[in-house]
Amino acid sequence: MSLLDTRERRRTPATAPPVAARNGLWQRIRAAKWSYVYLAPMAVLLLAFVIYPIFASFGYTFYRWNGIGSPGEYVGLDNFRQILHDGIFWGAVKHTFLYAFVLVPVQLLLALALALVLNNPKLKFALFFRTVYFIPVVTSAAVVGVVIQLMLANFGDSAGSLLAKTGVTNGHIDWLGDPNTALAVIIAIGIWHTLGYNLVYFLAGLQTIPAELYEAAKLDGCGPVQSFFRITIPMLRQVGVVIVVLAFIGSFQVFDLVQVLTGGGPYFATEVVNTYIYHLAFGGAAGAAAQPDIGLASAASFLYGLLLILFSALQVLALRRISRRRTAANQ
Amino acid sequence: MTSSNVSRRSLLRTAALGAGTMALGGGLSACGSGSPSSSADTLTYWDWYVTQAPWVDKEIELFEKAHSGVGVKKTTQQNAKYPDLVALANRSGNPPDVFMIPQVPSVAEQVAKGWLHPLDEWATPKWQSRFPEGTFLEGANVFDGKVYSAPLKGSGAQLQLYIHHGVFTSVGLTNPDGSVKIPRTWDEVTSAAQTITKKSGGKSYGFGFGNADGIGVLAWWLDLFVRGAGAPGGAPTAPGTGMDYRVGKWTFGTDRAYADFLELFVEWKKRGFFHPNSVSLSDEAARAFFERGKFGMTVGGVWNQPEWTQHKFTDYSLVTLPSPTATPKGYWYADPVGNGAFAAVSAKSKKAHEAFQWLDALTSPAAGRRWVQDLNGVSVYPEGNDPDGIDSKPFAAFVGMTEQVLRGPVPLVRNPELAGVAPSVPKPDISDVVAGVYTGQIKDVQGALSSLADKKFQLLSDAVAAVAKKGKKVSTSDYVFTDWDPTKPYTTKKA
Repeated sequence: MSLLDTRERRRTPATAPPVAARNGLWQRIRAAKWSYVYLAPMAVLLLAFVIYPIFASFGYTFYRWNGIGSPGEYVGLDNFRQILHDGIFWGAVKHTFLYAFVLVPVQLLLALALALVLNNPKLKFALFFRTVYFIPVVTSAAVVGVVIQLMLANFGDSAGSLLAKTGVTNGHIDWLGDPNTALAVIIAIGIWHTLGYNLVYFLAGLQTIPAELYEAAKLDGCGPVQSFFRITIPMLRQVGVVIVVLAFIGSFQVFDLVQVLTGGGPYFATEVVNTYIYHLAFGGAAGAAAQPDIGLASAASFLYGLLLILFSALQVLALRRISRRRTAANQ
Repeated sequence: MTSSNVSRRSLLRTAALGAGTMALGGGLSACGSGSPSSSADTLTYWDWYVTQAPWVDKEIELFEKAHSGVGVKKTTQQNAKYPDLVALANRSGNPPDVFMIPQVPSVAEQVAKGWLHPLDEWATPKWQSRFPEGTFLEGANVFDGKVYSAPLKGSGAQLQLYIHHGVFTSVGLTNPDGSVKIPRTWDEVTSAAQTITKKSGGKSYGFGFGNADGIGVLAWWLDLFVRGAGAPGGAPTAPGTGMDYRVGKWTFGTDRAYADFLELFVEWKKRGFFHPNSVSLSDEAARAFFERGKFGMTVGGVWNQPEWTQHKFTDYSLVTLPSPTATPKGYWYADPVGNGAFAAVSAKSKKAHEAFQWLDALTSPAAGRRWVQDLNGVSVYPEGNDPDGIDSKPFAAFVGMTEQVLRGPVPLVRNPELAGVAPSVPKPDISDVVAGVYTGQIKDVQGALSSLADKKFQLLSDAVAAVAKKGKKVSTSDYVFTDWDPTKPYTTKKA
């Protein structure tokens, strides 16, 4: 078969398309009008609250502006220069990437292990356990943060003293107030809080694997470990890619947990990019501690956006490369 | 019947139902607005007073009794978001009739934006004369000769070291007559903290604070301790404060009192004198911990007292300006600028006359006396600040501390054109630096202090230059008062 034949076949479907498809664009839209009606609210909200602010805030990056009245003082690229020279910004970038690169692998391994256990048809009360693991996900991060902050700091002096007295810790540790432990605590809470998402994705992925494959493997003498590496992992590859991408996106957006647990402190030890931007845009907690600067916040958002685009591009390139290598290896 | 027909009909039915509901709702709400207690006679009032709320409520009650037919609808906003909310209300053209003036933007900026109603129609010279001399100050509450606000509070000792009697007594920190041994110098404070930490058997610590809210608690410690050591600027706890007017600069890096105290502060931490959760405790929780005797000493302002009094906790003392020597080398200085602009009538108010009456009532001598009697702070009227008439012993002690507040230099008096100078606040500011030093994240303390002082002066220079560019005669030398002796009251001469 020549290349031309293949192209021709692509252009000419084997079966005739529906009438609507053969008519113009308008006819096709009319045929699916209710779909468009249902999509419209989301599209409008997306345009108003995501797409428009992205472009609007870019204009603010050239001004020094406290958010009151209209932006007046044009500063050119000064906001970008200031952000690029701000050690706190780069510290926040470091903390955000650390959060993502520790949380994602640990959480994925835990979620996969739990999904394998919960997918076992012989497990009793599986539904109960699935619910238990999913409950943190449906609980607001702000609520989780407030409760844990109360437990660890405001009520936690007794627990801290007990751990110190029993020798579990070397002295009383201020978990959220010590720069050496605060970020680790936040990452641990982040892992626990969103574990349920990935657990559900993996469970869904596991349930798409035909049982016949495992039966056939068993007949061929495969053990559970071999089945896991030869059937489960390859069959989960597609869903795995989606999970990794979503987990990284979610991790790079970390904000509420940090804001509620530590506010980015102590002395910026847990500042992530989103709390950094928030503090620039809305000032300090006391309103007077630091003045809001929408221009600086917009510049920081824009630079972070560029960093994430760069990271996403690298991620896509890496995935493509891995995929090509695998295809080549299979051929 | 096709599904699309059903959908269209359903949609129309739903729309009709919705329109009917809205019409009914509109009708109902119209009924509500026509009631006798309508909003036509009700003033809207915003503040951020939480612990002082009982005083405000009492003033509203008295005002409504005295002005029949005029009501006041109070909204207490969250302190941290107050500037944003006032700005948004003004932008949307729907501000409250009367509101406490937010700290940001500056009063001058708020006047320039047309948010505030000039009070000259009512604030006659006779009305102004009821306030102490020097109350109305161009650049603080007067702009272009027009009065925009009036004070409620007088200048008190801004911060105190609170001492828990129960904790002190339990570890034997008492005088031969059984009274509590009050520490007044840095050494005495250190010694008391050491005794509490050693002798309480782990039940109490020497000190504690709650730094989690980001309200600058650690700057309070520095401010309280360095003033008496001869650094009259203290530490900036609000924008535009903390400058040493002898040189017109922030002297964190050049006055050794700052580094000396921070060294002592870190030493206290290393020796385990602080409650170990202090960095992550909230300020509210720290207040409750102190009340329960989890630590013997804390630093705070008079705002702590109403809550403790409500809880019937009065077994404490307070001292201000603990110093390395028995006699302080610096004091607290009256703040006519910060205290002079308390509340304002909105320029958009349709009931400006009634709104002024409410502002007049809030700033009256009688309201000031009740402000003091309800343990909120000192009044701008000296006659209202008599410790003898106050039941609460700790609060009477606080009122007695007004003797430690001296009149200091006021750059605005010398040059009213400085009104528009609003330097940016650096991040990190002094409170962050103290947190960094306390947690061990900043090793080069002297370097961090010097760098911050330079940065603050640079921001001031930029702000002054920006105002000078608009044709005003201002200079950074307007902040220098070489003839000021910080141990004596100072009267700023007008230019």
